[in-house]
This record gives sequence, structure tokens and C-alpha cells, in this order.
Amino acid sequence: MQRFTEKELVQYNGKDGASAFIAYEGKVYDVSRSFLWQDGQHQVLHTAGVDLTAHLDQAPHGADLLERFPVIGMLDED
Amino acid sequence: MAKVAREMVERAGVNVDQLLELLVKNAAAELTTYYYYTILRVNLIGLEGEGIKEIAEAARIEDRNHFEALVPRIYELGGKLPEDMKVFHDMSACPPASLPKDPTDIKAMLTVLVEAERCAVRGYTQICNMTAGKDHRTYDLSLAILNEEIQHESWFSEFLGEGPSGHFMRRGETSPFVRKFLE
Repeated sequence: MQRFTEKELVQYNGKDGASAFIAYEGKVYDVSRSFLWQDGQHQVLHTAGVDLTAHLDQAPHGADLLERFPVIGMLDED
Repeated sequence: MAKVAREMVERAGVNVDQLLELLVKNAAAELTTYYYYTILRVNLIGLEGEGIKEIAEAARIEDRNHFEALVPRIYELGGKLPEDMKVFHDMSACPPASLPKDPTDIKAMLTVLVEAERCAVRGYTQICNMTAGKDHRTYDLSLAILNEEIQHESWFSEFLGEGPSGHFMRRGETSPFVRKFLE
């Protein structure tokens, strides 16, 4: 499985044709095909290409929704 | 734009541009859901489908009411709806509630309906969290919509056999919570 650093993850921000990847608790998810992640933006407040672990507590949904997306890698700590 | 109304919300610490984007996206979700539910409703036929048709119709009309109720608040705060309907559709806060491949599959139909309502419940919870104690009018409106979305979710969830919700189908007029915002 591919490994990403936070710096590498930033490239996958969903903009200009780039894939949209997000990280949560060490796993990297591909959300590129989600209607709710168009152009790497999610519900105005979140962007792809970053580790969202610290943000999920404030989201109106749990981590279970991430299970709908493929895990394509692991996030290494910088 | 209601200049002072916006100023009060800004001074309370709300990012009004972000809030407006969320309101427009949720208004898009309501209007597109109204459209998609129209297609779902006409396909709710047969012994199983007819039993769900009435609540699908109540949810459809109430989602249209939610759209109508959101629009004045968007303009009061200095926002606007996109001029292009396609742009509006594509920016929806929720995915399209499309007709399942097999429209006679009532469980698939109910899954589409309950997923749409769950998306809405999440969306208005987010807006309520963002505005609570800060933007009283948007909070009041979002809470009213949230109350109805939770009822919609409950209706469809019960049909899916997810357990009792304690709610009855609508009696009397539609939108008991949102009606006060309809002009």
C-alpha cells in the first residue's frame, strides 16, 4: 500500500484535475468520485489533501461514512 | 440585503460568506430533492410502492417548502442564487436522489429516500451548530427545517425495518415547523 507524508498528500487536493485524497487516523482515502468532494471541497469548510483526523469531531457525521471510500494508502508522520 | 441583519451576524463571529455558501448549497439540495422525489413518487406503485407514496409526497412538498423558506434568508444576508440552474444543481449539499436502476425495488427506493434525508439532517445540524447563539434567525430557520428532516428520515427508516422512531405520518397541513417562514 502506498505511503504518504503530509507534504505529499497536499498534492491530492482535488483541484485542476488532481485526485482528492484525505487522511483519517493514519489511513488515506480516495474521495475523488464523491459528489460531496467536488473540486476537493467538502461542505464549504473542508479541503482535500489534508489529514482531517482532528476535524471529524466537529463534523455532523462519524468515521463510518469514510468506509464508503477506498483506502489507497497510509499516512506517515512527518 | 438587510445590512444591519448581516452586520449583527458578522459581529457575533460567524463567517457569513461561509454560512451563505452552506445555505445556498442546502437550498440547492432541497430544490433538486424536490425534483428527484417527483420521479421517485411517480414510480412508487404496486402493493409495496403505494404504501410509501403518501409520505414520499409529504417529504417532497416539504423539501420544496424548505427551499422557499431558505431563499429570503440568503438574500437578507447578502447572498444570491446562481443564475444558471445547472450550476445550482451541481453545487447541491447532497448527492442526487436518483431513481434506482430497478424502480420496482422498493427497498432500493427507500434507501435513496433515507440517504437523502440523512444528508439533510447532517447539513442542517452543521448550520445550527454554526449559528447557535450567534445568528438567531438562521438558527431558528435551520432548526425548523431540521425538525422536519428528522421526521422524514424516521418515516423512511421505519419502512426499511430499522426500528421504531416514535413518529407518525403527517396529519393536517405540511411543514408544521417551517410554515411560519413561508411568505
